Amino acid sequence: MRLLRPLALIAVVLAAWEIASRSGLWNPLLFPPLAKIAYELGMFLVQPDRLMEAWVSLYRALGGFALAAVAGVLLGMLMGRSSLIADLLDPLFSGTYAVPKLALFPIFIFVFGIGSLSKVALIFLECLYPIVIVTYHGARDVNRALLWSAQNMGASRAAILRRVVIPATAPFIFAGYRVALPVAMIVVVITEMISSADGLGYVVIYSLSSLRTDRMLAVVIVISLLGLALDRALVFLRNRLVYWEKLDTYYV
Amino acid sequence: MNFFIKGGLLAALLVAWQLLWIGGLPSYVLSPLQIATDFFTALGSQELYVHAGTSLLRALPGFVVGSALGVALGLAAGVSRRIDQTFSPVIFLTYPVPKIVMLPLFMLWFGIGDLSKILIIALACFYPTFINAYYGAKATPRILVWSGLNMGAGGWRIVLGVVVPSALPLVFAGLRVALALSFIVMFATEMINSQSGLGHLIQVAESSLRFDLMYVSLVTIAILGYAGDRLLRAARHRVLRWQEAAQ
Repeated sequence: MRLLRPLALIAVVLAAWEIASRSGLWNPLLFPPLAKIAYELGMFLVQPDRLMEAWVSLYRALGGFALAAVAGVLLGMLMGRSSLIADLLDPLFSGTYAVPKLALFPIFIFVFGIGSLSKVALIFLECLYPIVIVTYHGARDVNRALLWSAQNMGASRAAILRRVVIPATAPFIFAGYRVALPVAMIVVVITEMISSADGLGYVVIYSLSSLRTDRMLAVVIVISLLGLALDRALVFLRNRLVYWEKLDTYYV
Repeated sequence: MNFFIKGGLLAALLVAWQLLWIGGLPSYVLSPLQIATDFFTALGSQELYVHAGTSLLRALPGFVVGSALGVALGLAAGVSRRIDQTFSPVIFLTYPVPKIVMLPLFMLWFGIGDLSKILIIALACFYPTFINAYYGAKATPRILVWSGLNMGAGGWRIVLGVVVPSALPLVFAGLRVALALSFIVMFATEMINSQSGLGHLIQVAESSLRFDLMYVSLVTIAILGYAGDRLLRAARHRVLRWQEAAQ
């Protein structure tokens, strides 16, 4: 019953699309019929070279994200547990937070070449910020009473880190990951649209310039589904690893 | 004290960069002094202002439209169950979708001019502001709402006097994310397809190997992003003074 209203909303949008495409008021290029988009979507899934493009985008996005996931948590933990490191690095991160790192892409192309490396480096940089900032706040605000009790019970520094700090920070780490993963998808698509000869972003631009809007829309759907699937997978992983705390979002 | 640490770190970084450059870096890395000179030279010419102005005229309307809609609908969904059940599932479902993929579609529908860019920026800004306003409104302490009702306030007065103020901190958090996003998306759209703006300038600079121009547009966008963030923080400080006082 609760699904009824959102499903109705989606049905209305799809119906409006089909009407717009059949009405003849607009060029069919602007609103390709749903059946053609579905056909292209099906073609996408059976053609190995298309799946290859999806794989290229995916490994760029996940590569950059994975590097940022490791480096970001390390940096955030260090900043959270050492006020000296926090004093040194926090101004750097909060000062450049609002600066679009995408502007560095042309320079990255010169440094890392026009292949995957410049894209992975940019994804790494964009993902690093949310992960570092959220992890830092989590690690800094670990409940002091817990730290004190652990110390009182004679736990070593390593044991405190492993048994108190990391579990207390884990929900924050995953919150940062959940912000960073869509960012990785955004950046991989943007960089492939700007300069690339492969990947999904390139296929979108290529289909548009060859006026195959049905194919373009099918690829847009594939990108959306990929973004969605990655988010679901992350939520699944989070609920397995951080089983003691429920995700406090309403729609998960 | 903190101020000196920050300043010292920045100065040390710049000096190290300059020394490295003297030691010999590839030609695409300019020295800080060189970049500063180029930047101030560019400040004297009209071109930079024109491009920066065009870029801002895309980013800001998109930000304003997208976040106004996002905040309004987010608050509405946080207050009204019917709106919540209709829109929230779809919005949360499409949240992890990279919105920039809609750009080619928008270019088809709204032309390759400014309108498609402004709309895609608005779309990108809508999501974080919606979600933050939604959680802000949802997290209003019940006890405040009950006291308001007890004291005889009606529906609208509860919303404006209790729900909105208690949602404001999260609303500002959403606005901050949206502002940063609006600059990223503006830059992306201009790099993908445009004849003007800072993103276009950096593309031209790259293809003609004008490294000076590349760094000038980089510095300009960095300054604009930083200034926007500062302005938003100042606004937040003014509006939320009562909250900071309470803590």
